[in-house]
Amino acid sequence: MADKLNLQRQSFLGADSEIVLGRSRAALLGLGGGGSHIAQQLAHIGLGSFLVIDPDFIDDTNLNRLVGATMEDVRLGTAKIDIAERVIKAVNPAAETIKRRANWTEVTAELRDVDVIFACVDSIGCRSELEGFARRFLIPLIDIGMDVHESSGEFSISGQVMLSMPGKPCMRCMGLVTDEALAKEAARYGAAGGKPQVVWPNGTLASIAVGLFMKLVTPWETHKSTPLLLEYDGDLQTVAPSNKLAYLPAYCKHFDSLNELGDPFWTLDSLAVVE
Amino acid sequence: MPSLLDPIQIGEITLPNRVIMSPLTRLTATLYDDLVQRLREPHDFAGERVAFLKCRPALSATSLLLLAGGVHHVENEDYVNDPSAGATVGRSGLRKVLQVAYMEAVSIVHVHLHEHRGRPRFSKTDLRENALFVPDFWNVQPSLPHGAVVFSFDSAVGQCWIPCSPSPSSVDVAIVGSPMRCTWKVTNG
Repeated sequence: MADKLNLQRQSFLGADSEIVLGRSRAALLGLGGGGSHIAQQLAHIGLGSFLVIDPDFIDDTNLNRLVGATMEDVRLGTAKIDIAERVIKAVNPAAETIKRRANWTEVTAELRDVDVIFACVDSIGCRSELEGFARRFLIPLIDIGMDVHESSGEFSISGQVMLSMPGKPCMRCMGLVTDEALAKEAARYGAAGGKPQVVWPNGTLASIAVGLFMKLVTPWETHKSTPLLLEYDGDLQTVAPSNKLAYLPAYCKHFDSLNELGDPFWTLDSLAVVE
Repeated sequence: MPSLLDPIQIGEITLPNRVIMSPLTRLTATLYDDLVQRLREPHDFAGERVAFLKCRPALSATSLLLLAGGVHHVENEDYVNDPSAGATVGRSGLRKVLQVAYMEAVSIVHVHLHEHRGRPRFSKTDLRENALFVPDFWNVQPSLPHGAVVFSFDSAVGQCWIPCSPSPSSVDVAIVGSPMRCTWKVTNG
């Protein structure tokens, strides 16, 4: 029986790809419908180290989309990070999984160590805060989001995957975060029930997100630039680079200050004698 | 936020402090590409150009991070005609970068480029000069780490002087872009 992941069929990713992937660490924030798909795929491609962060336990409303979850998990009320670890280890027992059943704001020291952050969170406010953190520590952030809209008694599914790359246009540049949207979200805080979520759009968006990650760490071609924003039309079943990309500035004007880098409270006390 | 001196548990081992990973310098690919382009511009007499990354520090769970947000380039007239070294920066040039460190409250990382592929090495002259001038930045920013990095076309090595530390630490470098380039993940060194 094999005890090591055989990555022979993805050797086109480069002679060093197995080593690079094995030495890479990604953070997954949110291990629900989107994050659970991403965890599974990253395990299959041989990612060496996972930082999985989610404060929640599974409930019966999650079972329609949370990859790897079982009825038994619902009965036991298993933590979502434990389900993620089980899925990862079942594929690749050698993978390191660092689990934190917490909000991301409680584990920021560990988050600073990762190569890429996957944001699988529901709120615009949380996305915006996470992006601010990622920009401060020069970490690429891959964000996925889906929505179901109702209009005239019919429903429409849409979503997007965004690569927020330090130095490049941010969520505000792309109109994904606006003061108006943040204010609307704040006004309805606590009033809404769970948003509609289904498994197949999450799977599509998660696959695109993993593809963006792979182009960052083990690119298989270098001539086509990676779109920073991809839009999903769940009704037409299409994914395409956003039309907004044509109108974006080359550089971000929201995170361009040296003062927005590093530890804002750095003092000599942060350090100690190194022997 | 943990201090570098706080103990850390790794598996069954408890280490007395967190200085277990080399300090890491991160810079964006945009900054790196601009930097390399400027470093490759010919000079009337200097054999190579040098520059200084302006960085802000942070601690992660396992290491010290130097996050580069800008570059101070040495102006043409601030090089000294010194055949014994690839590039020698004169007093006026050093005063300018000390001024930058002081006024902008930044860590300074001296950089230059070796035009080849594979893992570069500091020359004996580099090592001697680094040890002399890098700690000088503590005269203007005593609480900040400072360092020196030499790039090749696809790799880098560096040194970092951490305040209160008796000797420099080796530095890893990550260029954040598409693709990501991290010196500790490649095998061509």
